[in-house]
Amino acid sequence: MSEENTQEPPIDLDAKLDEMLLELRLPDVADLSGELERVANSAELAEFERRHLGPDSAIAGEKRRLGQMANEHRREAGRRINEVSRELQGRISVRRAEIETQEQAGRIAAEGIDVTLDHQRFPVGGLHLIQQVIDEVSDIFIGLGYKVADGPEAELAWYNFDALNTPTDHPGRLESDTMYLDYGRPEDEMLLRAHTSPVQARYMEQHDPPVYIVVPGKCYRNDTVDASHLPVFYQIEGLAVDSNIQFSDLKGTLAEFARQFFGPRTRVRLRPHYFPFTEPSAEMDASCPSCDGKDSTCRLCGGTGWLEMLGCGMVDPNVFAAVGYDPARVTGFAFGAGVERLAMVRYGIDSMRHFIDNDFRFLEQFPG
Amino acid sequence: MRVSLQWLNEYIDLPTRDPIELRRAFDMLGHAVESIEVLDVDWTSVLIGKVLTVEAHPDADKVRVTTVDVGTDEPYQIICGAWNFDAGAVVPVALPGAVLPGGFEIGSRKIRGVESSGMICSEHELGLGEDAAGILVLDDGAPVGKPFESILELPDVVFELEITNNRPDVMSMVGVARELAAWFDVDFREPDFSLETVPGKPELTVSISAPDGCNRFTAREVRGITLGKSPLWVRERLRKAGVRAISNAVDVTNYVMMELGHPLHAFDLDTIAGGTLDVRWASAGESLETLDGSVRHLTAEDLVIVDTDGPTSMAAIMGGARSEVNDATVNVLMEAAHWNPPTVMYSSRRHDLQSEASKRFERGVDPNLSPRANDRACRLLAEIGGGEIVETQIDIVANAFSPVSVNLAESDVQRLLGDRFDAAMSAALLRRVHLGVTAAGGSLDVTVPTYRPDITRPADLIEEIARLADFDTFGETLPTGPAGGLSSAQGRTRTFLATLRGLGLHQAVNLPFVSAAELAAFSDVVTQVVTVRNPLRDDQSKLRQSLLPGLLRNIRENRNRGAGAVGLFETGRVFYARPWQDDERVPDQPERLAVAVAGPFGVAELGSPARDADGVTALALLTAVARQMGLNLVRNAAQPPGYHPTRTASLELEGAPIGFAGELHPDTAAGFEIDVRVAIAEIELAPIVATRPPIEMVPISTYPHVDFDLSFEIPRSLAGSDLVEATSKASRLLEKVEVFDDFVHPESGERSIAISYRLRASDRTLSRDEIEAERTGFVNAAASLGARLRGES
Ligand SMILES: [Zn+2]
Repeated sequence: MSEENTQEPPIDLDAKLDEMLLELRLPDVADLSGELERVANSAELAEFERRHLGPDSAIAGEKRRLGQMANEHRREAGRRINEVSRELQGRISVRRAEIETQEQAGRIAAEGIDVTLDHQRFPVGGLHLIQQVIDEVSDIFIGLGYKVADGPEAELAWYNFDALNTPTDHPGRLESDTMYLDYGRPEDEMLLRAHTSPVQARYMEQHDPPVYIVVPGKCYRNDTVDASHLPVFYQIEGLAVDSNIQFSDLKGTLAEFARQFFGPRTRVRLRPHYFPFTEPSAEMDASCPSCDGKDSTCRLCGGTGWLEMLGCGMVDPNVFAAVGYDPARVTGFAFGAGVERLAMVRYGIDSMRHFIDNDFRFLEQFPG
Repeated sequence: MRVSLQWLNEYIDLPTRDPIELRRAFDMLGHAVESIEVLDVDWTSVLIGKVLTVEAHPDADKVRVTTVDVGTDEPYQIICGAWNFDAGAVVPVALPGAVLPGGFEIGSRKIRGVESSGMICSEHELGLGEDAAGILVLDDGAPVGKPFESILELPDVVFELEITNNRPDVMSMVGVARELAAWFDVDFREPDFSLETVPGKPELTVSISAPDGCNRFTAREVRGITLGKSPLWVRERLRKAGVRAISNAVDVTNYVMMELGHPLHAFDLDTIAGGTLDVRWASAGESLETLDGSVRHLTAEDLVIVDTDGPTSMAAIMGGARSEVNDATVNVLMEAAHWNPPTVMYSSRRHDLQSEASKRFERGVDPNLSPRANDRACRLLAEIGGGEIVETQIDIVANAFSPVSVNLAESDVQRLLGDRFDAAMSAALLRRVHLGVTAAGGSLDVTVPTYRPDITRPADLIEEIARLADFDTFGETLPTGPAGGLSSAQGRTRTFLATLRGLGLHQAVNLPFVSAAELAAFSDVVTQVVTVRNPLRDDQSKLRQSLLPGLLRNIRENRNRGAGAVGLFETGRVFYARPWQDDERVPDQPERLAVAVAGPFGVAELGSPARDADGVTALALLTAVARQMGLNLVRNAAQPPGYHPTRTASLELEGAPIGFAGELHPDTAAGFEIDVRVAIAEIELAPIVATRPPIEMVPISTYPHVDFDLSFEIPRSLAGSDLVEATSKASRLLEKVEVFDDFVHPESGERSIAISYRLRASDRTLSRDEIEAERTGFVNAAASLGARLRGES
């Protein structure tokens, strides 16, 4: 470098500069553009960049020569070299972006999957339809101010019958109807509860009014399995006891339930019936969700427009007396629906057997 | 209860005959309509004819040639194969061109050279009964030349009603008419009870030795009857009521039972031995041949009617063969007795002999109806069977029943039904059903006839008022109750079930009845079993102590149906003969969760199916559930009965055992006829959902973490979790620890476990020295359990 410095000629600076610049062996960017266009992929581009901007490139060589130039020329030469270098880098960047876009598009095109097939499968489970209906009905009544209660399935006959005003000689007490257990003291006759209603009595024994509860649970009857009977089935029971409950409250509550469960256009009617533990007693019919009473040949309702849904009534004063409530101070209503029945009506299920068969072809039809 | 509208006309003038309106009336009265049957005239051109001549066929032995007057100028010549009539008989005649039930067309044809135009019809050919043997001979007074249907109550509509147990009075045409009269507020006509009798006293003496079984015994003799077929109108009404006609004496008892609701029995008076009847309890060992030909073995709880030869009838259940009316019967004892309802209920079920009569007696027949029912039956028998009615009625009353009086406060009605139900409105409604009502200040004194056993209290009257007011007239209101909601445990149960679902399991519901073998499948010694006294099947009389047998049955059945993967769970009670904690009078019945999985289960990919479920699956499922519930289950190797002894863990929560998870023992699997590995688990539900574990947030460190992995050679017997726990305890900076490999060398049998540790401090970046000290601590802790550092990565 020092040698170069000593050779610095003092004469005709401008002419010398032009000479110097002419001597700069820099590539013509315009000439390289054609070559750059022909670069087809990132690897070729890297090679192009290495050739023209890398350590062995002409530009790099000229940059190295700058040191040998006279101070007064060096600046202009450096400017030119940088100009060319920057121009080339700019074009390479543009080309790189083009190539990357092309290559990305190619990769995306190549890595497509057949989205119509299950390449990976996660297991999907489900709650039993009975559980789904229980939860849904419970939630409707929770919204109406109810709590959820439960009680034992192996139960004293006293709670299942006597506390519920069932006559000593009621046919429901016969072994042909109710399942009895060999357990306990002879005076505590034991059975598998025939309905969820014993929980009413137990709950009232333990809580002061007001009482607003629903009781979902298993019930047992001495029935062999067929399309319309199961020895074990589910009920969901409701009980409202307060200082001023009237018959119209029963009707309004069940109407609200029916609208939420079967749809907002559902109508209900109460029909007189008989249960030992309610008076008046009624059966609740819901308007047929299939034909709404407009099809005399409807298979769901038999053309009557009504579907029998559940039993209900005003709590019999004897039930209040049995649990230590004063029938003069409280009134109330109770209802009990068959969970399977609710499910069968809503989903068109043709046989009770499906509820205990646990056949996957059935279970998987009701995700939820 | 089958109700013919035509028959009803005898007692009530209905304001409508529209089946839809009548259906609503019945439904809203509480007598639900189960079906409506329209009975039409199912033929054309059948006239009433009188047989003029009957002659032999010149060329055929089995038929006869008749001429029949059907009101036309010329009689019809008809060839007939029946022999049960002679000239003068009035019969239904199908003219040529007539169409009979089933589309059967009648024409004119020659039979062995003799012209035959039309047909004389049997009951069967007209679709009116089963009797096809002879032609239907009508009453002599039937109007010749008129359409046959003009003497029938056709067309008709038969309503099949469901009568509730509390309303025995409506199990009769009269009761139904009374109800409709109240509903439509129209008059009701009673049937004719009047009698023409001959002076005389009964030859028979009757006594009641079992007043606890028989309240009243009424009887009367009808002498000199002609036993035979009932007239068409009686048989038609019985047919519509669903009762088979037998003979006039028997038909009368059924007719009056359908009309009034009081069952009766007709004895052949002359077969009663010794001229006495007594009602008494049977003695054990006694037997009786009933009129269906069976020999009934009696117990001391059966009530019998006896003569001097012993039992001659099972009271209320079935008459005896010995005293049954038969073709030779001339003198009849018509009996109408009132039996104690429970006696009938237990006896009829014990002997499996439930009948229209027992159904009515066990619900409660009007105890004061016997004399009138008896009158009505005697009158009808004399009318259709001839004979004379003996004047004096036998009427032994063991227990008398009087109408009940009930005082009803206006305020009690309004409290339950609403303000519009003032005393005047209530009184008007109750009078419609013939209750005696006297207003007394703010209350009503109500007298209830004995045919309404359902009304004894004010509440019963309120029900009656609401019913007669029409439930449809009540509004719909909502009570304003307190706030509702799920308890914490109920909310956690929902989460629990949702977690099991989210893991890919389906919920099952099984019957809780198991066999002795199934009980033994998961117990070494089966104890504290609760047994059903009256099981559906003798081999399913035990209550389950595990939910697994049911799920294993489901797995077998689903796999047999072709399901490869079956992942199930069930929650439900199991039963033990020991006191329950919530009520020591009833047996223990804790709720459980059980899981059973067989076949490929979990995440699957094309070409790479999910791994087959086994013990590992059950452990993973239970761990995932516990984590979701915020609980930490401690697992220890265990060998519970029925489980695989080297692939099963006991599960502990807060130091208390709650169940097991692992794999089904191959022998148990074979017992359930399952040929694959099954992941099984069963735990107590209560501790899982009982409490929401307290959670306090751990501050999130902003300092960097350090990860490193250690691989240990460990003794085969060492529990992996012990190694993890011991090494973890040696650290104060451990944020996370995870076993990522457990490998047993197939040849050397040496086992190694690889563990990944993450360290982080809450307040600083860890120094090289600190990290090294931690690492040394892990290695030393492992060494104390006999685990040697194998390598590091
Ligand atoms: Zn419909």
